[in-house]
Amino acid sequence: MEASTVLQSLISGLTLGCIYAALGLGLFVVYGVTRVLNLAQGEFVMLGGMLTVSFCSMGVPLLGAIVLAVIVTIISGAALYLLVIRPAKNASGSTLAFLTVGFAYAIEGTTLLVWGWEYHSLTNFLGSSSIHLWGATIFGQAPWVVGMTVLMVVGLFFFFGRTMVGKALRACADEPLGARSVGISIEKMALLSFMLAAGLGAVAGATITPLTMTAYNVGMPLTIKGLLAAFLGGIHRAEGVILGGLLVGLAEALSAGLMPTGYHDAIALGILLVVFLSRPQGLLPARSGAG
Amino acid sequence: MNVRRDMRSVLAVARGGHGPLVEYRDVSVSYGELLAVNNVSFAVERGEILCVIGPNGAGKTTLLRMTNGLLRPTAGEIWFDGLRVDRMPAHRIAALGATQVFQDIQLFENMSVLDNVMTGAHGWTDTGFVGASLRLASAIDEERWMRRAAIQQLSALGLAGLLHEYPSALSWGEQKLVGLARALLCRPILLLLDEPYGGLDTEEIDRLSRTLKTLKREGMTILMVEHLTDIVMDVADRVVVLHYGEKLAEGTPDTVREDERVIATYLGD
Amino acid sequence: MSPIVDKAKQRAARLVPMPRVPRAALILLVVIALLPVTDSAYLLSILIKIGLHAVIGMGLILLTGLAGQVSLGQGVFYGTGAYVSALLCLRFGISPWLAMPLAAAASGLLAAPIGRAILRLKGIIVAGVTLTVNLIFFYLVVSVSDLTGGATGLSQIPRFEYPKFMSYTTFVFYAVWLLVILCLVLTTNLVASRVGRALKSVNVLGIGTEDTPQVLGIDVMHFKVAAYVGAAVFAGIAGSVYAHHISVIEPHTFSVQTSVLVAIMVVLGGVTNPWGAIVGSALIVGLTELLREVAPIILGGPTGSYELVAYGVVLVLTLLFLPDGLCSLPARIQEWKRGRRL
Repeated sequence: MEASTVLQSLISGLTLGCIYAALGLGLFVVYGVTRVLNLAQGEFVMLGGMLTVSFCSMGVPLLGAIVLAVIVTIISGAALYLLVIRPAKNASGSTLAFLTVGFAYAIEGTTLLVWGWEYHSLTNFLGSSSIHLWGATIFGQAPWVVGMTVLMVVGLFFFFGRTMVGKALRACADEPLGARSVGISIEKMALLSFMLAAGLGAVAGATITPLTMTAYNVGMPLTIKGLLAAFLGGIHRAEGVILGGLLVGLAEALSAGLMPTGYHDAIALGILLVVFLSRPQGLLPARSGAG
Repeated sequence: MNVRRDMRSVLAVARGGHGPLVEYRDVSVSYGELLAVNNVSFAVERGEILCVIGPNGAGKTTLLRMTNGLLRPTAGEIWFDGLRVDRMPAHRIAALGATQVFQDIQLFENMSVLDNVMTGAHGWTDTGFVGASLRLASAIDEERWMRRAAIQQLSALGLAGLLHEYPSALSWGEQKLVGLARALLCRPILLLLDEPYGGLDTEEIDRLSRTLKTLKREGMTILMVEHLTDIVMDVADRVVVLHYGEKLAEGTPDTVREDERVIATYLGD
Repeated sequence: MSPIVDKAKQRAARLVPMPRVPRAALILLVVIALLPVTDSAYLLSILIKIGLHAVIGMGLILLTGLAGQVSLGQGVFYGTGAYVSALLCLRFGISPWLAMPLAAAASGLLAAPIGRAILRLKGIIVAGVTLTVNLIFFYLVVSVSDLTGGATGLSQIPRFEYPKFMSYTTFVFYAVWLLVILCLVLTTNLVASRVGRALKSVNVLGIGTEDTPQVLGIDVMHFKVAAYVGAAVFAGIAGSVYAHHISVIEPHTFSVQTSVLVAIMVVLGGVTNPWGAIVGSALIVGLTELLREVAPIILGGPTGSYELVAYGVVLVLTLLFLPDGLCSLPARIQEWKRGRRL
């Protein structure tokens, strides 16, 4: 086993880990505030990528395209809440999850209708195709992915910790009855959480498209891995989700790099599942008291 | 056939046993750093109604949960009818003859009142997947029996008109009675009740007290948690007072009422 | 008469099954028998598809409808049934009629440990875990290519031995729908029985905890796992029949997409009603065929897009307006009429 292979795997793992962490954070935001398992999260990521590609091909400069894509995706997130989730008052957790599945199907179908079957891609944000470091090859987009995730995490910490809105969201997640009694509108917070999750997903989607390409059906596998990432580390705190994402990414990349027998996908996922089942409350200990 | 089908014979057997029905020996349970129950010891005699009273948070519900196997004590032992049960899974303790009606009753929302009560009979029946799916004669037989027993029980409590209603359509008092009927279908020898009088009006309180006294006359042992002390004093044979998880006093209602420590810390305020 | 013989007679009488055949199932039976069997193998294969998915769905009635455990991973057992059945015939040359029960048993055996492991979890997270399990299964099937044929799958799977005076498709059609009726009867019986009540008592997705069934003496874990195994067996049988019907199987048929779709069928039809599995399956499969063949011709656009949108819209609308599924429509209409009269 060459050191460069290990390094390569670690770097890929870190990159993948950031993708899954970003996915997990979107799931975390919605689940934390509304207890809804948003199985359409992957679709937001897909939309972010697809829309960016489209806007770019229309001649919009990259940054503008990303911004537009994020805005449109956020609108779809709002649509999910307003049209699908909110009307289902008093629905059970399973009904809500199925409703998000319905939404995901609608998005997938519409995307297929508009964009067709093919995979679409973007050029790397800075143009260079790859960097070589100590014998390992880093795809040029990788630093952007990692950077995006870091910015996302920092931004979220700031948002939840310092801003009024963020604190209100946290209040809803931790203590819904108490939050309502101090005048926080749960419905508004729920809407906000869906929009935030959509926005996070879209940013992630735009950033990873140069690396992984995008197509109408990439949503569901992303959602599944995102779910695993979100719950593995512990869904009750953001650090857990980030840890979960990194673990899923590393497991995938390390197994692919070090076990090229074809079973690596199954083994990686299997190990992660076993780890999760042995500690379903999440790897990180629960936050004690008010965090 | 099945001895459990007849409540009276079940209770007769229980009455014939030796020693207390339930025994708590130095039982403690902690949630992290909080000691919810601290070194509690007492016994519940066969055929008596024993009330555990104390302010909220005193550890009463925790004690009930442990008795039923829903929670494991961190120290001490719990004995039921001569068997050590503090390490047993809940459904096995239920099979031994202990069942509980929770404070919030928890009727099954997805079935009718009749079905809810018939579920109580699960423990002493044994139709399985094969018998049920093929509707074997034995399965049909057993079903008929359970149905009859459930209707009988509901009628005895005055609820015959509610058989096919769903829990969401019932009043709180009615839900409590259905919950009791369901528990009674288990043919328990020990009935655990968590705040059974909560939310009842004077007429319902009266009816419940009479029902419990009738059950006791038939040989049932009842362990009850309450914090409405005056009602309890009327129904209970003996009382145990818990305060911050510790046993403060034990004895007949009169003895406890006059106990200085109890007056000072609990009945006084 | 000797008391021993009396007792033996009594015991024998107990074992004679008295299955109750729902009136509607009898009607279904008659309809199927009289159905003018067209030469259209296409139509028959659609009806077969509906039937197979209905069988998988009925397992979900028990698992999800009654016990409240959402499984978005039945593809694992559908696939196990198909692959085991196919391999037993291809590798060991046994008859598909023998392979089918073996494959069903294999699905059940696989489900037991998986169920034990994942059903300790409570709530909607179970759904997420079943998705992961399905994904692992998919990867495994693709990688173990010497056994399963990998991504290309297995072909030339032998057919059932069947009476030659009818076409094979016709035979499979009758076999599948007889299976559907059998499953319908078994499931309906289970729903209204001690077992059905025990399963329903475990359903905590709405409210409630698992404490209550426990203190009533119901071994919650046992019933959850039993329901999971039961659903797996249903799916396994369907998988086996599918394999010997089409004679070609490949991993995509047993992927997450199929699992989610089957769950949607049951939810659409009515997750607590065995008929819901049939209604939901008919709706989705029918809709799919209609949209796949017809819509692109009329509206243009890639095939596959319209059904996806349709699944989504139909699912959302049904869950919002008829949360108990389409089978609850008659009851809802009754209520509405009663409400108007007041």
